[in-house]
Amino acid sequence: MRTILRVNMSDLSITKEPLPEKWANYGGRALTDALVFTEVPADADPLGPDNKLVIAPGLLGGTTAPNGGRLSIGAKSPLTGGLKESNSGGTAAHALGKMGIAAIIIEGMPEKKTCCYALRLFPDGEADLVHRHDMAGLGTYETVAVAKGIEATEDRMTEKSSFLVIGPAGEMGMKSAGIAVTDPMGYPNRFAGRGGLGAVMGSKGLKVIAIFDEGLRYVEHADKDAFNAAVKKFAAALREHPVSGTGLPTYGTNVLANIINESGGYPTRNFSSGQFEGVDGISGETMRAITLERGGNVKHGCHSGCVIQCSRYYVDKDGHYMTKGPEYESAWSLGANCGISDMDAVAELDRMCGDIGVDTIEMGATLAVYMDSGKIPFGDAEAAKAALAEVIKDNALGRALGDGAEATGKAYGVDRIPVVKHQAMPAYDPRPIQGIGVTYATSTQGADHTAGYSITSNVLAVGGTVDPLKPDGQAELSKGLQIATGMLDSLGLCIFVAFPVLDIPAAFEAIGEMVSAHTGQTWGADELMELGKEVLTYERIFNEHAGFTAADDRLPAYMYTEKLPPHDAVFTVSDEDLDSVHDFVAETAAKMGIS
Amino acid sequence: MRIQLALFASLSQYLPEADNGNRLSAHAQLIDLPDGSTVGQVIAALGLPDEPRIVFVNNRHAPESHVLQEGERLAVFPPVAGG
Repeated sequence: MRTILRVNMSDLSITKEPLPEKWANYGGRALTDALVFTEVPADADPLGPDNKLVIAPGLLGGTTAPNGGRLSIGAKSPLTGGLKESNSGGTAAHALGKMGIAAIIIEGMPEKKTCCYALRLFPDGEADLVHRHDMAGLGTYETVAVAKGIEATEDRMTEKSSFLVIGPAGEMGMKSAGIAVTDPMGYPNRFAGRGGLGAVMGSKGLKVIAIFDEGLRYVEHADKDAFNAAVKKFAAALREHPVSGTGLPTYGTNVLANIINESGGYPTRNFSSGQFEGVDGISGETMRAITLERGGNVKHGCHSGCVIQCSRYYVDKDGHYMTKGPEYESAWSLGANCGISDMDAVAELDRMCGDIGVDTIEMGATLAVYMDSGKIPFGDAEAAKAALAEVIKDNALGRALGDGAEATGKAYGVDRIPVVKHQAMPAYDPRPIQGIGVTYATSTQGADHTAGYSITSNVLAVGGTVDPLKPDGQAELSKGLQIATGMLDSLGLCIFVAFPVLDIPAAFEAIGEMVSAHTGQTWGADELMELGKEVLTYERIFNEHAGFTAADDRLPAYMYTEKLPPHDAVFTVSDEDLDSVHDFVAETAAKMGIS
Repeated sequence: MRIQLALFASLSQYLPEADNGNRLSAHAQLIDLPDGSTVGQVIAALGLPDEPRIVFVNNRHAPESHVLQEGERLAVFPPVAGG
């Protein structure tokens, strides 16, 4: 029986309770959603005592399921005001899974704002809270070093432990603050970045969650042999598909830079063009060449059991670790979107974001909006670094930047702010790639590419093709992907498994077979997709309670009228199509008995 | 007829030797072709591996049967993704 660990920051009590039977098949996003939906009032102040931070490994967390170690973190978002699930790699999910913990709920808040508590979970099931005033204001890297009780070294920080930490931005309640999760080497470079969940953690007075899982074994299955057979089948499909088997491990996610630029959908200088003349400087190919020349690592997984291995480390000219190889979204946001084409500058900004503890997508979009105001020029990396450094200095500029693109645009009089539900758009312009525009507009999460990655069929010819420049078929494409993503996020599977799943029937079958063998129940395509629908239904209804309407499911007005070069594209998907994406919610809610 | 040819990721190594300043960037250069050449003929002439690929002509997806025109840009990618 999996358990819920409930940590009350008002009275510093820690209790364990069994996972309610009705949620026995929930993990990850489904469970964070169910708990937030059930326990957090929709009108709660996101940074007040009524909000709760919920941390859950997927249903397959703690197993050997390939790429099954993703972590979901949920709360009412300070950025969007809606039900947020932010998803991260790193080693914490498997560690929690092995402990039999279905979810950690962090609730209440200290009477007097105080920093900093560390929550520690031990292999024997014990947990405690310790007050560590010496961690106040520290960056994420130093926080991990202090939490381990060792000095940080440049190149190696290892132990059998996982940490979730916030940086100073989270302590200060910035809406762009994320929660860092340590990777297999102990670097806090994986992020539940989106939606300001670092600020929620900070509001609870919590700086660190330390998970020590030395000696713990993988969890048991209802049918071990069947599970192992399904694992082999799934892993074979991941290795067979050219994207997950070759492209991602060789170049990392930033291999996308050139192809999205070629498609004319690579947002440049605050979404004013779809192509960046400096893309060569920050592409995945360039990053790989630089890293190899300097002796950096160009292929590893962010958690044990990762078959795809798209992670890498970016190193400085002397070969010392700087940050993880900036992901496509980060290299874009801090690069092309700011008009910066220097990979080292992008890596420095990425490291700064990581250490301060802010979401790179939101912060890159924010700096670009700030540049658009004319306060600093596009392309000026030094000015960008100086501005970013202000975020934690407790002044008006820092507060605006720290609260994200919309706050910055409003503070500095910028008309074109690329956000939906107050959250900044990622690295695809929705005008020439309209399927992703449907996802941005309609996702419960605000503008979020991972919520329904229509880039697959729109650009990458994975899972069929849908013309990115036309409105036809985009709503249906996005809807299917949003549902499937809800399912993958609940199982704890990396969404990159979607590439083989969309193209290789055996890959999708294997997911059902793994879940069936693990739970002892029958899981086919229908059950898996129903799980995805339940996820979206929780989020959608919570958001309705919080005041969201169809008007929130739209792109910013200028994207319907201002043409984006080189295609001179505007967004043309109809409101009717956008409103059709969640047409299943009423029926699913009735089945679930929620309203 | 002269076109721009761009090859990316693992296909970059198939870019012909550049001369006369025809190299436009790390991944693109100008090449001369017989009039009426198709995308498929260019791919065959370059000796690209026989595996799935994504083809753009002037920033739009194009079939390998597309007949290239003077001044067009042909870009070819192996299967890639990320996000």
